[in-house]
Amino acid sequence: MTDASDLDSYFGERQGETPLGTVVGGSLSAGLRVKLDPHLSIERLAVGRYVVIQGQSRRTFFGIITDILLDAANPDLPRRPPDPSDSFSAEVYRGSVAYGAMQVTPMLVLDEGAQEPRPIKTIPAHFSRVHEATAADVERVFGREDQSHFFIGSPLDMELVQVNLDLGRFVARSSGVFGKSGTGKSFITRTILAGIVKSGLASSLVFDMHNDYGWAVKGEGQHQYKGLRQLFPDGRVNVVTLDEETSRARGSKIDRILKIGYEQIEPEDVEMLAGLMGLSDIQTGALYYLRRRLGPAWIAKLLEEEQAGEELQELVLSGRILPGTLDAIQRKFESFFRRMGFLVPGKGDEAVDDIFNRLNLGTSIVLEFGRYGNTLAAYVLVANYLTRRIHARYVDRMNRHAGGQADEPRPLMIVIEEAHKFLDPQIAGHTIFGNIARELRKYNVTLLIVDQRPSGIDDEVMSQIGTRVTCLLDNEADIRAVFSGVSGAGALREVLARLDTRQQALIMGHAVPMPVVVRTRDYDQSFYSAIGVVDGEERKARAKRGAETLFGD
Amino acid sequence: MVVTQVPIGRVTRCSTRGFVGAVRLPEPDIPAFGGFCVVETQHGQARVIGLIYDLSIEDDELARQMASAGDLSREQLADAQTNRQVPLEFSALTVGFAREGTYHYTLPPQPPLTLAEVYPLDVNEVHSFTERFDFLPLIFGADRLPVDDLLAAALKQASLTYPEKQRLPYLVQAGRECARFMAADLNRLENLIRSLQT
Ligand SMILES: Nc1ncnc2c1ncn2[C@@H]1O[C@H](COP(=O)(O)OP(=O)(O)OP(=O)(O)O)[C@@H](O)[C@H]1O
Ligand SMILES: [Mg+2]
Repeated sequence: MTDASDLDSYFGERQGETPLGTVVGGSLSAGLRVKLDPHLSIERLAVGRYVVIQGQSRRTFFGIITDILLDAANPDLPRRPPDPSDSFSAEVYRGSVAYGAMQVTPMLVLDEGAQEPRPIKTIPAHFSRVHEATAADVERVFGREDQSHFFIGSPLDMELVQVNLDLGRFVARSSGVFGKSGTGKSFITRTILAGIVKSGLASSLVFDMHNDYGWAVKGEGQHQYKGLRQLFPDGRVNVVTLDEETSRARGSKIDRILKIGYEQIEPEDVEMLAGLMGLSDIQTGALYYLRRRLGPAWIAKLLEEEQAGEELQELVLSGRILPGTLDAIQRKFESFFRRMGFLVPGKGDEAVDDIFNRLNLGTSIVLEFGRYGNTLAAYVLVANYLTRRIHARYVDRMNRHAGGQADEPRPLMIVIEEAHKFLDPQIAGHTIFGNIARELRKYNVTLLIVDQRPSGIDDEVMSQIGTRVTCLLDNEADIRAVFSGVSGAGALREVLARLDTRQQALIMGHAVPMPVVVRTRDYDQSFYSAIGVVDGEERKARAKRGAETLFGD
Repeated sequence: MVVTQVPIGRVTRCSTRGFVGAVRLPEPDIPAFGGFCVVETQHGQARVIGLIYDLSIEDDELARQMASAGDLSREQLADAQTNRQVPLEFSALTVGFAREGTYHYTLPPQPPLTLAEVYPLDVNEVHSFTERFDFLPLIFGADRLPVDDLLAAALKQASLTYPEKQRLPYLVQAGRECARFMAADLNRLENLIRSLQT
């Protein structure tokens, strides 16, 4: 007999609690088959719930229900079920010849006397008893909220239990937030970002396509939510805008306006837009030649804002570029660059250095696109433009740090939406985002990719994603993509396919001790206060309370 | 335990697996098929619990003559059926034994002795003995007996020791226990379930 008291001290007393069933088969790779106790109503169970398995040899296993099924000890039974009107027979069959079973994927094991559960390398023995995990069990696994562990939501049916993300691990590798449109990706991302800013573990650079992060975020109907700039009014978050007019009209506080000079743009920046601008391979190739021949003012010259007629004529005459190619490039530049108000003639300013410095001082930056958010090309251009340059500075700083000539740059997490536009298999091999995902944290820069179509993201990049936060997905290919490279998580597909359409997510990977389905924390007044925001009203109330305690008897 | 009941007969033949007893008619408590009975063994140290699976009356010359004689008067019939001492034989299957206040659902170490008195098992004891279904394996293990009918009769009898409301749940549970033994033969299980209900 096992002395259960040690186990009880960790996982709570189990006496008097009826087990769900017993382990009757399975494997480490395919999960455990658990025959349900006949007294238990199968309808009480739900995939995604946790169970605790009391192993022999004083180990306790922690697992997640990934499937629920009906089985029969006699294969003939399904062909000749009892008469529907005969409830007595049905009752007898149920829980004897016909029984319920569930599939459980074991996740963690707690060795006797150990404090921390660890990933499993074995499975419980035959006929081990399986219990529903109590709130206390789950709490033990996910730990307490502290400086680096951020409360992100609660397991389903356990509203009082906190699931805490290990932010240190979250930012240490690239992470992803996935889900169909409207499932709450931006809300979760903003919640996590608030946690990261609060923890001070990394700076974030958010490419905010739809005004979801900085200031006065629109929700359903008329409701407005606080952006990060409002949650951290003390300067920990800055808003940089590409579209001053729209930002001002929205009442957003602005810390900087970003303009990019034509002369700062390189062919590499434009190459990323080849697909969106409709540039052919030959035209794209020609950009590099044009830049070499025309010098820094190449764009102005192509747009014919600077005298360049002769120069262009010469290029054509020299036979190095076909007149058709040049024409096409000019036409496409014309229609693109003129529409981008943030692109300005000339040398531009030191915006990149300024942004790098802010990030490196620990300030997170939300880059608002304003009206340009609706133009994918603008988003891709700016995200690439800034990321390449900021990354280059990180590489430089990191190298100098290695040589003892500089401080280590502060970890940076770059947040992009519509990530598949940057990371599709065609281009991920040679874009800056592909590189960042692959080089892990070598230069202290990681990605947080937010996307509704993970299947569009390069496999190799996906396999580098350390933590995946996945809201509902219903496309088969997308589901497959979010599980790629996750060992043994295939069973979680059932769980994922059954999430609510909103505010529920499956979190797995680096930042959680085991996969977990959460209802994400409400993004509301109580969240604001938890982050430390004191509202006008609240401040008055506090002042009043303070005064009362001061002068009361 | 002091037995205050009237015996139903005495053991005439026995083995550890079961025993046969004889009753003398008329007796107030004629044993019934599926009834539980008990008999002492090991000089009273243990009591063997049996389940009656057969009742038989040996024929004799007089009965044969009367049966073939055609019309019998009312008095003749009454005389033959109630007044005459015809030995009634009952056979019981051992389903367990009691020793020092606990039930054991296995065969007893020794059978009862011949002529030991057999008593019906008191209702309270039927109740406590059948609370656990551990006596079922011994019934399922008996060969050449009408096992299924015996099960149904015994379980129904056990269910009658419960208040009305709890009888059906008891039978459901009993059916489930039996199903474990009969899962391979759904026809047989269906029949048993049917007889549990009637
Ligand atoms: N944690 C939350 N607290 C409060 N409301 C939420 C929360 N999560 C989601 N919502 C509601 O769900 C709506 C959709 O969420 P969100 O904008 O984050 O979806 P999305 O996945 O980013 O959609 P899209 O793909 O269109 O960008 C929000 O407008 C909000 O009303
Ligand atoms: Mg969104």
